[in-house]
Amino acid sequence: MGKLIIVACGAGINTSTIAEDCIRERLAKEGLGDVEVKRILMADIDKFVGRMNLIVSMMKIFRTFDVPIVQGMPFLIGTQQEKNALLDKIVGLIKA
Amino acid sequence: MLEFAPDLTVVGLVASDACAVIETLAGRLAARHCVSADYGAQTYARELEHPTGLPTRPYCIAFPHADAAGVTRSALAVAILSQPVTFQNMADPAEALPVEAVFLLANKRPEEQVSTLRRLAQLFGQPERLLALRAQSRPEAVTTWLKAELGLE
Repeated sequence: MGKLIIVACGAGINTSTIAEDCIRERLAKEGLGDVEVKRILMADIDKFVGRMNLIVSMMKIFRTFDVPIVQGMPFLIGTQQEKNALLDKIVGLIKA
Repeated sequence: MLEFAPDLTVVGLVASDACAVIETLAGRLAARHCVSADYGAQTYARELEHPTGLPTRPYCIAFPHADAAGVTRSALAVAILSQPVTFQNMADPAEALPVEAVFLLANKRPEEQVSTLRRLAQLFGQPERLLALRAQSRPEAVTTWLKAELGLE
């Protein structure tokens, strides 16, 4: 199976849609179209333990997982530079 | 397409709290038959559970919304507040933010609004654009400015 990036937020509607779209667009440019990006409710995250490779969270997370966690808030309120830096970080982590 | 119009815009809104802002904007959306009569109550209930305040610069904003169930047509309603009102931070619900502008979104299918949502996020990330928004003094001017900014119509 290909790699999986989980985008988690409190209610799974608008904010995670923005992050998901930014990440998909960048992955396509990097030739990483086989990486799956899935937005979920934070409350459902346990269903993906063992299957996911990276978590992008729109909220603070008060627990740890066996995969890297990236704070996704810059997708919503960051400058273009901050958004690009976050995408660089995500691409780096998913390629690792 | 996301509907937006001068009657969905309130400039200099005097409101005592987040609930009053949300009810005012949801009332404007309901008057245009974009949402059900209880969309404000739904949105406020969701705001308490999943807050939408954002620590943008140079002033904080909030981005309340509810589930699609009460939405007939996707639309945006915007309030520029006369005085800051407290919303909790989306990323950290324990933190209270003094919010000066509120973007109430009624979204039937978020996937279909991705480009508008991304342009909204671009606006949120640019302090000088948020200042330009707040400098608009009339609902018609806010509408024209924001439609251009978000690529609506």
